[in-house]
Amino acid sequence: MSSTTTIGRIICFIGFIFLAHASYSTYEHLSYLKAVERVERELPLDIKLETLSSVAIFSLGVALVAGSLKEIYVKSEMAKKTIDLVDTRPSFIVFNHRGRVLKNSKQ
Amino acid sequence: MHSYSTAVSTLHELRKSGERKPDLVVSLGQTLIDGGLTRKLGDEAWSVYEQIFIAALDVGRDDLAKTCLERLEKRFPDSPRVELLLGMKYEAEKKLDQALSIYEKILNEDETNMPVEKRKIALYKTMGHNQEAINALVRFLDVYYNDVEAWLELASLYLRQHLYQQAAFCLEELILLQPQNHFYHLKYAEVLYTSDNIPLALKEYCRVIELCDDYVRALYGIKLCTYKLLNASSSASSSKITGNTDSHTLSVLNELATERLLHVYSHKKCSKVIKDVVREWLQNY
Repeated sequence: MSSTTTIGRIICFIGFIFLAHASYSTYEHLSYLKAVERVERELPLDIKLETLSSVAIFSLGVALVAGSLKEIYVKSEMAKKTIDLVDTRPSFIVFNHRGRVLKNSKQ
Repeated sequence: MHSYSTAVSTLHELRKSGERKPDLVVSLGQTLIDGGLTRKLGDEAWSVYEQIFIAALDVGRDDLAKTCLERLEKRFPDSPRVELLLGMKYEAEKKLDQALSIYEKILNEDETNMPVEKRKIALYKTMGHNQEAINALVRFLDVYYNDVEAWLELASLYLRQHLYQQAAFCLEELILLQPQNHFYHLKYAEVLYTSDNIPLALKEYCRVIELCDDYVRALYGIKLCTYKLLNASSSASSSKITGNTDSHTLSVLNELATERLLHVYSHKKCSKVIKDVVREWLQNY
């Protein structure tokens, strides 16, 4: 595992802690509101900020864990293939070739 | 010695790409079977057995093939897919009539069994009945038009009979099915070149370069085509031979191909001898 992946995982973990904390705070806040019997529509600003920042941290971590980017063009993928690979026709293989004799005598 | 996880992933990749590396598959498979590790694979084990079986037949390891087939037969007693493998075993043992009767039996029960149909065509090839194989393949493609592998096979069968026009038709169909695959364009261009349709071959070679930068085989093709066209236009000067590309474009293309070829060989770590051979060849064309 490369160091970037490790760092990415740590960052993901931090993001996760923030998210867990934010959701716990929301729960606490709602139960507090229930206890004092007040009706409020909005969540406090700090919880919102914490949630958003956890998302940002999370996406940074995911970007680091995901590994190197791949090229978007088909040709970069096709350039790696060889003509032998494209031209193998596995359903139509025949067995009367020299491999059966040559390889077997080697054993 | 191969570790378990790399062996499994290598086998998986080979199965996916369809590449034929029987030596590797047999040695990996032998380790798996000897170590009794196939049980750990779960349901994947059966396709691994199938893969090892075919590879073992390929290199004449009939003992290993027998082990795989026995296990498969025990697990799937009435499966046509296993029966097909038995047919392949007969093929490898040169009992071609027995193989054919197995395939025909499966096809009588279920005439839409595609793999068996393909095997039957391959069997005709083994028997040396090329014409029959072609006829069967044409009928097959009437039903399964979008089978790329079958079109490729038909093209190669036609090429064996030196029927370039028919082979070119198959490759045209392949280009329609997968226009982004430069190999089909390349093969098409080569067939056109062989059947002396140079202007179109040149266009197809250019298409290959468009789809895959600095593809050496196509660069050589462009070189040969432009050389032929330039010579033809200087001697006969008829637009019928050269197509409608003017000689200036042709010579520019020729120079460009030379430049790219020299560039490719200057970057690769090839020896001085090869570089000299390439340079000398380029001077002649």
